[in-house]
Amino acid sequence: MSKLTEKYAIVGVGESERSKNSGVTPLHLALDAARAAIADAGLNATEIDGFMSYSEHDSCTSHQLATYLGVRPKYVKDIMGGGSSTEMLIADAIGLIEAGMVNTVLIYRSMNGRSGVRMGGGGWDVNMLQTAFDGGSFIIPYGAGSPSQWFGLFATRHMHETGITKEHFGHVCVSAYEHAQRNPKAFFYGKPLTMEEYLKTPDLSFPFNKHDYCLESDEANAIIVTSADRAKDCKSRPVYIMGMSARQCHPHAHYWSDLSQVAADYVAPDLYQNAGVKPEDIQVASIYDCYSWVVLRQLEAYGFAPRGEVGAFVAEGNLKMGGKLPTNTAGGMLSEGYTHGMNNVLEIVRQIRHEYKGTDRQVENCEIGICTGWAGPDIAGAMILRN
Amino acid sequence: MSYQKPIPLKTLDNSPYWDAADQHELRLQKCMSCGEYAHPPGPSCAKCGGTELSWETFGSDVKGTIYSYVISYRPFLPGFQDDLPLVIAQVELENPSGVKILGNVIESNHEEIKIGKPVQMVWVDITEDRALPQWKLL
Ligand SMILES: [Zn+2]
Repeated sequence: MSKLTEKYAIVGVGESERSKNSGVTPLHLALDAARAAIADAGLNATEIDGFMSYSEHDSCTSHQLATYLGVRPKYVKDIMGGGSSTEMLIADAIGLIEAGMVNTVLIYRSMNGRSGVRMGGGGWDVNMLQTAFDGGSFIIPYGAGSPSQWFGLFATRHMHETGITKEHFGHVCVSAYEHAQRNPKAFFYGKPLTMEEYLKTPDLSFPFNKHDYCLESDEANAIIVTSADRAKDCKSRPVYIMGMSARQCHPHAHYWSDLSQVAADYVAPDLYQNAGVKPEDIQVASIYDCYSWVVLRQLEAYGFAPRGEVGAFVAEGNLKMGGKLPTNTAGGMLSEGYTHGMNNVLEIVRQIRHEYKGTDRQVENCEIGICTGWAGPDIAGAMILRN
Repeated sequence: MSYQKPIPLKTLDNSPYWDAADQHELRLQKCMSCGEYAHPPGPSCAKCGGTELSWETFGSDVKGTIYSYVISYRPFLPGFQDDLPLVIAQVELENPSGVKILGNVIESNHEEIKIGKPVQMVWVDITEDRALPQWKLL
């Protein structure tokens, strides 16, 4: 993608209520999130002409959402996908706007992730799983049916090669929970975590204990992307997309075959080149955090600390407020809520707008932020944003 | 009682591997264009896209070392509730060197599992006509 700086912006963000049992359908949640994002941008629903969503067969369609907002859209798109889908759909929206097909696009993720279809939830047909992904028949018969086990193989090897320890995982978790204490909407608001507690928590699947896993929640999130020209007419402070690398891949779809690399390793050089900045220019981060280790591996991939020094980087408190890279400042998916990454996008937009100014939640004077997405070691994307 | 865990599905691309496993032998796919072994096997070579594939048999004496592992204390798939804690290891073969095959390290004390530990492939007869390659600590 050519240089984007100042051409496109995120002009609206919104969410539904977050709960463990919404009692409503994903369509209701999506409508709440979309209305909030539209109000945040100061637009009329009819000014949105593109609608996009991602899901794991657990959402409503973009056409349904547009219909019940009273809009006849020019473009709808629903993809299957989890982490890094937000970044990919933003890139697609930019392409469509650039081509003159649409003006303004709303992207959402809506899920009853706790009361409905649970990601960690089992109940899968095992023979379907064997064929659902490349090489599935070489892992499912061995009981490896969870991302915590697939990613765990990468994590154990990474620990061995770089000296990362469980205590370093713990620093990621403790930092996230600390952020959640400033966010009354976070699931773990009022439930801080100490390192001592973390370390005595038994593993669910080594090297991960329950704190290393993300949450499950019922909620919807929405964002609105438009051109910088149209952003001027919005009521919100635009957050500009400086650069993206929307989707990169591991060399093999059966990514367990090579534990030494992850897709994020390919995202980073492209991203910094497109955005024209370096890791040291970035002041706030949303790092995809389906598991604590995933944050550590991405800090390495995105150059925030050299390989072998990522553990020390988090142990110094750099992910906390006042650190070098306050990360997932709403608590992230480890302690706020879980929408396959979009809640982290909402938070970084609000940080870069300085929406929390005057409170202890604001990362002081942050101008440039990074937002990363991680479907797994196989697929990743990221963007750099500025105010 | 019948086998409760998932049985490897034979497909167009992988059946020579599982057919050999049923005979308690290791067979691997090899690309004739670039000389790379492929595991898991595929419809063409993942390294070079080559379509000239062959299969090479390595017999029943297969050794390797643990390259990485996880230890699961709860079942993440049905059928594994009696196998806890479950050790899932990626094993690097001695020959052909570098090829990695995932399996459970069975009949082991999970506290002994470490990266670099030598293991040997064993085949567990899971049904009348199917066998599953597994690993045992040496
Ligand atoms: Zn080849």
